[in-house]
Amino acid sequence: MRRAPIVITATVVGLIAVIEFHTRPSAVSVANIPAAGAAATSPATSAPATRPTSKSKSKSATPKASTASPPSSTRTATGPQVNYSWGVLSVSVTVSGTKITKVGIASLDDGGNPRSQSIDQYSIPQLEQQALAAQSANIQGVSGASYTSAGFQQSLQAALQKLGVG
Amino acid sequence: MGTIVVIDVYATAGDAAAGAAAERASQEISGQVAEAVATLHRADETFSTWKPGSPVSRLRRGELSRAQVPAELAEVLDRCAVARDWSGGWFDPWAVPGGFDPSGYVKGWAAQNALAAFRSSAICGVLVNAAGDIASSGGLGDGTPFRIGIADPRDPLRLAEIVELTGAIATSGTYERGEHLIDPRSGRPAARAASASVTGPDLGLADALATALAVAGEAGLALIDGLGGYEALVINPDGSKRRTKGFPVAAVSSA
Repeated sequence: MRRAPIVITATVVGLIAVIEFHTRPSAVSVANIPAAGAAATSPATSAPATRPTSKSKSKSATPKASTASPPSSTRTATGPQVNYSWGVLSVSVTVSGTKITKVGIASLDDGGNPRSQSIDQYSIPQLEQQALAAQSANIQGVSGASYTSAGFQQSLQAALQKLGVG
Repeated sequence: MGTIVVIDVYATAGDAAAGAAAERASQEISGQVAEAVATLHRADETFSTWKPGSPVSRLRRGELSRAQVPAELAEVLDRCAVARDWSGGWFDPWAVPGGFDPSGYVKGWAAQNALAAFRSSAICGVLVNAAGDIASSGGLGDGTPFRIGIADPRDPLRLAEIVELTGAIATSGTYERGEHLIDPRSGRPAARAASASVTGPDLGLADALATALAVAGEAGLALIDGLGGYEALVINPDGSKRRTKGFPVAAVSSA
């Protein structure tokens, strides 16, 4: 991606902002590629992405007042389908308590063109592993990630929030 | 091709905060988020080389002269010239087919500008992550800095390094197929480093310098050494790492 003066095709097109609020992280934190270190106890809110070319909506934030820790059972959620450079994907995540135990692609439509498929085959497994690595390393972000990863992390984050651990 | 920006806001208002106060803080922060998003969209409108009507596209086609461009574009032109100088010419947005293309600077510049929106006293830290290039302020709230992993270019299943971030970090390299870095000295694709990361106060400049270092390879580290406030890490194609003395590597053990 990136690096552009250079890249013949690349430029800053279609900026999408994914917004997350975290209250002060508690001792138990769930890390994932983008958001990491999210407070387990009160994830406040998440405003949906806005795309400059289409409708632009911004949900106003209302913090959840929840103070209870999430249940410790093993649960799985799937994030929304998100556009990424090469198509549309969604991510599923399984957590045990607040720990991510599994991350995977729930759906992927890359339009079937060979270049997309080659990139997906290369990068998707890495992203899945990166999410797990990020958790174990207790980090709040990854530098050197990719375009694909941005869509991946967006869907992952939404899935985590469904589970109350994002 | 697009860029996705993820904004993480860490707020100090915890469970102890009264409902009304938390609500106020949340609304204040929401307004600031909207402001940051607007900043990013404005940058997109101005600097997209994909939009035929954008000022940068018009400049590229010669429809606007240097004197006619909007203030933001004039600023970026100036800063790109500075980045070119500071990088010893390894970053050169003029040395590309199609004319001036500031994309390698603007993504970081826009993310850095977006950060300025977050002024609420309830906020202890903000990360603005533009597809792996990250501008930040503050930290986790108790004096703990943000920790940012650098993806390992040879084995992206792992992190090559973890840094304790103050300010910005940009990483350039060949993480995903389809990327091509052009060596401004030859005009041909070339990347001597597998990955190059630069930390410093400004993400636009860090972004440009990381691009430069990825092309120049570890020989370029000497350039960064001469720049106050900026530090760098280069990962060579053989996996060996070289860094400037002050590169903020986190302690090995992690919580």
